[in-house]
Amino acid sequence: MTAIVAASALTRRYGEGDVAVDALAGIDIEFEAGRFAAIMGPSGSGKSTLMHLLAGLDRPTSGTVTLEGIELATLDDRALTMLRREKVGFIFQTFNLLPILDARENITLPLSIAGNGADKAWFDRLIDTVGIRDRLHHRPAQLSGGQQQRVAVARALISRPAVVFADEPTGNLDSTAGGEVLDLLRRAVDDFGQTVVMVSHDAHAASHADRLIVLADGRVVHDGEALSADGVLDLMKSLKT
Amino acid sequence: MSRVVVRGFFARRLRAFLTGIAIALGVALMSGTYILTDTINHSFAAIFNTGARGRSVVVTPHQGLGSTAAVQTATINEATLAKVRKVPGVAVASGEVFTTVSLFADGKRLNKNAPSFVGSTLPARFENFSAVQGRLPSSGTEVAIDQATAQRYALKVGETLRVAGASAAVDYRIGGIVKFAGATSFGGAGVAVLTLPQAQRVASEPGAFDELVVAASPSVSDKDLRARIRAVLPHTLDVRTGLQEAAQQTSDLENQLGFLRTFLLIFAYVALFVGAFIIFNTFSITVAQRTREFGLLRMLGATRGQIVRSVVAEGVMLGLGGAILGLLGGLALAPGLDQLFKAFGADLPDSGTVIEFRTVWVSLLAGTVVTVIAGLLPALRASRVTPIAAMREGVSLTEKGVRSHMRRRIGIGVIVAAVLLRVVLELRSGAGIVTIVVIVAIVLLWRVPQSRARIKAAFSAVIVALARLLARPLELRGIVGRLARDNTIRHPGRTAATAMALMIGLALVSLISVLAAGTKASINNAIDASFAGDLILSNSSAAGNTGIPTEIPAAVRAIPGVSSVTAIAFTEGRVKGIGGNASITALDPASFSRVYRIDWDKGSNASLEGLGTTGTVLTKGFANAHHLHVGARLSVQTPSGQRVTLSVRGIATDNARLLADLTITLPLARTAFNQRTDAVDFVSYAPGVSNSQVQPTVNRLLAARFPQTQSQTAAQFKTSLGGQINSLLALIYVLLALSVIVSLFGIVNTLVLSIFERTRELGMLRAIGTTKRQVRQMIRYESVLTALVGGVLGIVLGIVIAAILAGTALSGSGFVFVVPPITMVVLFVLAGLAGLIAAAWPARRAASVDILAALATE
Repeated sequence: MTAIVAASALTRRYGEGDVAVDALAGIDIEFEAGRFAAIMGPSGSGKSTLMHLLAGLDRPTSGTVTLEGIELATLDDRALTMLRREKVGFIFQTFNLLPILDARENITLPLSIAGNGADKAWFDRLIDTVGIRDRLHHRPAQLSGGQQQRVAVARALISRPAVVFADEPTGNLDSTAGGEVLDLLRRAVDDFGQTVVMVSHDAHAASHADRLIVLADGRVVHDGEALSADGVLDLMKSLKT
Repeated sequence: MSRVVVRGFFARRLRAFLTGIAIALGVALMSGTYILTDTINHSFAAIFNTGARGRSVVVTPHQGLGSTAAVQTATINEATLAKVRKVPGVAVASGEVFTTVSLFADGKRLNKNAPSFVGSTLPARFENFSAVQGRLPSSGTEVAIDQATAQRYALKVGETLRVAGASAAVDYRIGGIVKFAGATSFGGAGVAVLTLPQAQRVASEPGAFDELVVAASPSVSDKDLRARIRAVLPHTLDVRTGLQEAAQQTSDLENQLGFLRTFLLIFAYVALFVGAFIIFNTFSITVAQRTREFGLLRMLGATRGQIVRSVVAEGVMLGLGGAILGLLGGLALAPGLDQLFKAFGADLPDSGTVIEFRTVWVSLLAGTVVTVIAGLLPALRASRVTPIAAMREGVSLTEKGVRSHMRRRIGIGVIVAAVLLRVVLELRSGAGIVTIVVIVAIVLLWRVPQSRARIKAAFSAVIVALARLLARPLELRGIVGRLARDNTIRHPGRTAATAMALMIGLALVSLISVLAAGTKASINNAIDASFAGDLILSNSSAAGNTGIPTEIPAAVRAIPGVSSVTAIAFTEGRVKGIGGNASITALDPASFSRVYRIDWDKGSNASLEGLGTTGTVLTKGFANAHHLHVGARLSVQTPSGQRVTLSVRGIATDNARLLADLTITLPLARTAFNQRTDAVDFVSYAPGVSNSQVQPTVNRLLAARFPQTQSQTAAQFKTSLGGQINSLLALIYVLLALSVIVSLFGIVNTLVLSIFERTRELGMLRAIGTTKRQVRQMIRYESVLTALVGGVLGIVLGIVIAAILAGTALSGSGFVFVVPPITMVVLFVLAGLAGLIAAAWPARRAASVDILAALATE
């Protein structure tokens, strides 16, 4: 299986001299197509930084990131923007929907930005999958947190990106709504063959993934098959000691 | 993407409205100016076109000095009329007199705010007036008066009308009330119709005419007849067909009223400039507040260009919306401006409302372009938001400069846009050049990063220090006062931009008040230093360039106690080799030098007394500007088209500005320059005679024979000059008030935006026990503080600019630099009040924040 996203010898240093902090201290990692990977780690472990670098939102201090074989360092801002537009989807902890647009418009926003129309069949399938057909004309303020995040999932999938990055997608949701969102991500991988990379520190969320990566102090300390929620917790405990 | 823009725009419609108003007010003044001046021009055109009735050809003296020169034109004599009558194809030719006069009824001056005219009766085929009541004058004792004036002053047939022109006043019996063909309104002007000999007498033009009107025989076309008459007349006379003459009069009038348009447009530009500040500020704040939104859009694949375009598109919508609002406002404002001018003594004809297509597109373009330019920098800043910003809490935008090539592009873009706008708008107006220079200077200065950073830092420091100082009294108000102060200096840049909008208006007010005070003081000084006489006689009306009769000196000299009277007249001439018209003072050297001390640079009173009809004295400024020395010979073209050669006999400095560029003798002015009236007479008393013994007698004489003339002592003259300056000042203040109102919207806008930003903070304050009243107070203090910062900066800036002017452009002119303290205190208080008014609504809004909801917002 070929890697959709790959990083090698990736480092990211913030600040200079004495106050320099190595958020990432040399990471080599690959993500295969059609798999659901969870990245875990305590605060400050570098998981968010890794995700930003993989998505081309930030530039590494050294090392390379390739997305679908394209080396991100070679791209200028405009090309990076185009790459994000076509190949990357995002899901945020705080949903980040535009309050001025309704659910349907939020979902198709990435296509609108690119000046493309929506694939009707794909759109219909997506909204049925995320289950918000009856909420399409509601503004975010009129939706519950779970509904908002489902809209955000649909938005991330609408352009059939090569990879979806999810940053703590359940962090602001109760367990029921969170479970629904995780099921959705699972189905995106299983039914649509979507590649998903999720950053989380919720063991339950990580248990929905196919693969578990644990970071600590800017390094990968565990990389293996996914575990149950309890298994994840046990692993985390064992890593701490 | 465009949907995001449109939705966003309407979602923030309150903000959009407030910001749009900032542009709308400037545009309203602009379109109102165009509508008013177009209306006036069209009304005059209608009058002139109606007046061309029955006239195949019109002969007028050539205006060699242009239509805007304040001179008496030459007259046409009877021999010329006889010559025209002999031209084959002429059916009827008549001479006509049309002159500016003063009209009186029951001892009261009529039509104070507009000129009054006397016209002579004409053969029926030329006559434009028809009697509504009574008849046109048929004898030398009768006059007919226009209907509007008759109605305004309740004049009836049989009553007495006193007409004072270039000679002693004469009473006529009103024999008829007439209306002008086409029933066009003359505005506030009045017309009295006299028989030709009487009109000539009033104008002091016996046997002469102001124009000849000619009707062609049926077989001859107007054009052919014009050519035939042209062939027999000298080139000191213009020969036009009736229609050409009407067109010429219309365009002359447009030229003369051009200053009015320019004058008003300057204030419109100032208001637009202030509006631009507010747009810039509002956009900067909203862009900062929408950082996460822009970050999200960037993350979802929006390019920088798309972000810039989205903000610019918002600017276009806002600008266009504001401009449309302004255009409508202009329609409402035009009559208001008209009333304003009436109140300040200029009652011009205005029938209907004329909206030229040019008014529409210029207004829309100006409003939109100004808004877009003001929104450009914030738009570029928005494009620098990184995608990660979408994921962070409370990120603030980096204040990093725009990349240099971008900056260069913006700089050039702004300059090009400004220049284009100016060129497109009005090629002839001087105000535009100032605008361009200012814009270019700002852009150039701004383009140097170091200077920009330094300016910004220094300015912020000044703002903070000033706010702290002004906030001193607030410290007595406890924590609310402290919070208000800290909130004001929390974003010095924002406070600065908000305060600067107010600063611009107040700086102009303060500058003008200092200049006016200085002008008054310098004139007073100059009069004290130069004028040695006792009375100054002049026309009591400021409307129209009406002089006083030349018969006055002889009549006043006969009054016991008067030792001498000297007459002074003003005219203009065109000096060969020097562009434009030179102003000319004409006087009687012998009697003049006895009542007026001249500060001689070269020459002496003897040089003045030896002028004769071949010499002239120059003022120092004129001599220096054109490198002229004593002994130089000037070839001067007079208003009547003659050329006289004058040799320079002396050079003088005159801070009272009584001596114009050139000074000549009265006899020369009366002949070569055709000057038939005087401007002022200086009266001196015999030694030992007191004013109370003479002035009443002088006044009685003036009231009886020269009612348009008033007598003033030096003190009275200074007071009335001061009064004139004050009324001009009041007019300027009223027009500048608009800019100040615009800046009020800026304060409201900034307050509302910062309240929105601080929703959570306000909720917290309320939660821990701050009362609604305290919140309202806090916002009010913030507003007053911002306004006072702007006020102080404006007042100081105005004074500084005035001081610079006094030290450079005005140095050597006798200008006295005086700061009127009361005006400055009033300005300061007004600035504070403005802040209070601006805070009224935002304060209520802040106080009504729902505590729980506010705490829940991020």
